[in-house]
Amino acid sequence: MESLYGLLGGFAALANPETLLYMVGGFLIGTLFGAVPGLTSVLAIALLLPLTYSLDVTTALVACASIFMAGMCSGSITATTINIPGAPASMMTALEGYPMQQRGEGAKALGHAALGSMIGGSVGALLLMVLSPLAADVALLIRTPGKFSLIAFALIVIIISQRGSVTKGMVATLLGVMVATVGIDVVQPLARFTFGSSVLVQGIDMMPLIIGTFAISELLIQADSRSARTVDPSKLQAAKVKRRDFIPPLSEVREIGFLRYLKSAVIGYAVGILPGAGGSMAAFVSYAESMRSSKHPERYGKGNPEGIASAECANNSMCGGAFVPMLTFGIPGDPTTAIVLGVLVINGLQPGPQFMTQQLDLIAPMFASLFVSALILVPLTLYLLGPYFLKIVSIRRDVLYSSIAVVALVGSYVATYSTFQMALALVFGVLAYFLRKQKYPTVCLLLGFVLGPSLEEYCRRALSINDGSPTVFLTSPDSLFFIALTAVFFYFMVIRKPRENPLKAMSD
Amino acid sequence: MSSKRLSLGGGFYVPAVLAVITVIYLISALQLGPPMKEGNMTASFFPILTAVLMLVALVSAMAQDVHRTRSEEKKVPDAEPDDDAELSKTYGGISVGAISVVLLTAGYLLAFDLIGYFVSTFFYVLLLMFQFGSGSAKNWLMRLVATCAITGAGYLLFEVFFQVRLPTLWS
Repeated sequence: MESLYGLLGGFAALANPETLLYMVGGFLIGTLFGAVPGLTSVLAIALLLPLTYSLDVTTALVACASIFMAGMCSGSITATTINIPGAPASMMTALEGYPMQQRGEGAKALGHAALGSMIGGSVGALLLMVLSPLAADVALLIRTPGKFSLIAFALIVIIISQRGSVTKGMVATLLGVMVATVGIDVVQPLARFTFGSSVLVQGIDMMPLIIGTFAISELLIQADSRSARTVDPSKLQAAKVKRRDFIPPLSEVREIGFLRYLKSAVIGYAVGILPGAGGSMAAFVSYAESMRSSKHPERYGKGNPEGIASAECANNSMCGGAFVPMLTFGIPGDPTTAIVLGVLVINGLQPGPQFMTQQLDLIAPMFASLFVSALILVPLTLYLLGPYFLKIVSIRRDVLYSSIAVVALVGSYVATYSTFQMALALVFGVLAYFLRKQKYPTVCLLLGFVLGPSLEEYCRRALSINDGSPTVFLTSPDSLFFIALTAVFFYFMVIRKPRENPLKAMSD
Repeated sequence: MSSKRLSLGGGFYVPAVLAVITVIYLISALQLGPPMKEGNMTASFFPILTAVLMLVALVSAMAQDVHRTRSEEKKVPDAEPDDDAELSKTYGGISVGAISVVLLTAGYLLAFDLIGYFVSTFFYVLLLMFQFGSGSAKNWLMRLVATCAITGAGYLLFEVFFQVRLPTLWS
C-alpha cells in the first residue's frame, strides 16, 4: 500500500510547473531527435547529462523518461512517409508503413503507429510500476557470487546479441571494461593505469565517454556527408500529413484486436528487460510473432497495419522494461538506461534492490513521466505537431551540428570546470568514430564501462569470502541460476541456428 | 597461389591499433604485481584477464578481416577500387571532413580556457558552419547570424540558465 501511495505521489509531482515543463520540453526534444534521421534519443539524453549537474535529480529523471518515450515513437513518421526510419526501432514500421503510403494509405499507417505507441508505452510503464517492486524483492535474494554471475550474464548476452559480429561486440565490451579500470582499484587503494598522470587517479568519468561516444563521434560521421540538409527537401514534397491522419479507423483497430496489442506490449516489455536488446529488437521480435500468429501472414511486408501496431506497441513498451534491471540491480541493459544510471550516480545515488523502497519519491515521478508521455503526450504531440514534422526533420546540417558540438563540448566542461574532460570527450569521440566506421557496437563500449567495475568487485569479494575458491560460483544457488541462464541464452543465440529472419525471407 | 599483397583496410588496422594499446595495458597490468596472492585476486588479476581476452578477440577480428579480404579478392581478382574519389578523400581511414572537425575541436579546446567562451565559441561555430555547409561561401550572412545566435544561446543555456561559470577573456 505504501508503494502504491508512493507511485501515486509521482503523478502528483508532475503537477509541479517546473517538472511538468521539463517533461514536456524533454518530450519535444526527444520527438525532434527521434524523427530526424541521424539523430537519436540516446544522443538527446547524452546532451542532457551535463545539465543534470545543475538540475534537481527528479526533474532530470522525468526529462530522461519523456525523451526516451518520445524517441521511440517519433521515428515512425519519416519511416512511413519517406521510408527513412528516424530511429532504428522504426525499421519494422517502415517495412509496413511505406507500402501503405505508396498505395495512398499513409494516413492509416500513421494512425496505427500512433495508437500502437500509445498503448505499448502506457502498458510498459504500468508493468514497470507494478512489477519492479517485485523484481526488487527478488533482487534482495541475490548475494555477492550471484551478483557477479548476473553481471557476467548481462555482459555475455549483450555481446552475443550483436547480430553480425560477436567478436566486434566482445572487443567493444572489453575495451569499455579496460577504460573503466583506469584509476583507483575497486577493492584496495591502489592507482592503476594512470601512467603518472594525477588527473587519471580519480578514474575516467562517465560523461566524457558518453559525450564522446554518442555526440562527438556523430559529428565526425556527419562530417563525411556533403548534403546541406538532414533530409532532402524534394523527398518531402510528395508526402503530406494532416491531423486527422493520426486517428486510425476503428474497424481496423478491432481487426488487429486488443489481445495483439497486449501481447506486443508484453513482448516489448520482456525484451526491454534483457540486456543489450533495445527497441529495434523488441519491434522485430513482436513483428515476427505477430506475423507467425496472424490469420494473413502473406499480407506482411506489403503494408499491413497489424505489423505496424505490433512493432510500435513493442518498441514503446520496451522503455518500461529497460528500467527494471537498472533500478533493481544497477545493471543497465541499453544506452539510455546507462545514461540515466549516470544521472543517478552524478547525484550520489546507487540503484540496487533497496533503491526502489528507499528512494521511491525520486523514482516515482520518472515512472509517472513515462506513463503520461505515452498516454497523453504521444497522441497529443503527434496530433498537434504531426503535420509539421516533415518540415522539422529537414534541418540545415550546418546549424544543427554546430549547435550539437557546442552543447556537447561545453557540457563536458561542466563536470570539473576543466578542459581535460572536453579533451577526453574528443579522444573518445575519435575512438568511437573509428569503431563505428568498422561497425563495432559502441553501445557495448558504454555498457562494458558501466558494468566492468561491478563485475570485478563482486568477483573479488566473492572469492575472498570463499578463501579464493572459485567453486563458490557453482555452489551458490543464485549464481548457479545465472550461469545456467547464460548457458541457455548461449545455446539459443549462438549454437542453435536462429530462425530465419522474416525480413530476409520477404526480401528474397 | 597469388603473390599479390592483400589490400587490408580499417577492418584490420583498427583492431591492430587496439592490440598495440592492449599490449601496453597488459604490460602496465603485469607491473602491478602478481595476479594472485594468498589465494586471493589482486588488483592486477582482472586487468590481465581482460587484456588477454581482448587480445584473443582482436586477433580473431584481424583474422576474420584477412579471410574476408582474401575471399573478396578471389571473387573479383582484378577489380579496381570502385570509389577512387572517396578513397582520395580519406587519410588513414578518417575522412577530410572528420579530420577538419577533429582539428577545429582540438583548437577550440586550447582556445576555450585561453580566450574565453565567447570568442572561442564564435570562431569554432563559424568554422563548423562552413565545414557542415560543404565549405561553400554561400549564405555567409545567414551563417554569421546563426553563429551569433548559437554562441548566445549556449551562453544563456549554461551561464544564465544552469549557472555554469564559463571562462572569459579577462578572467
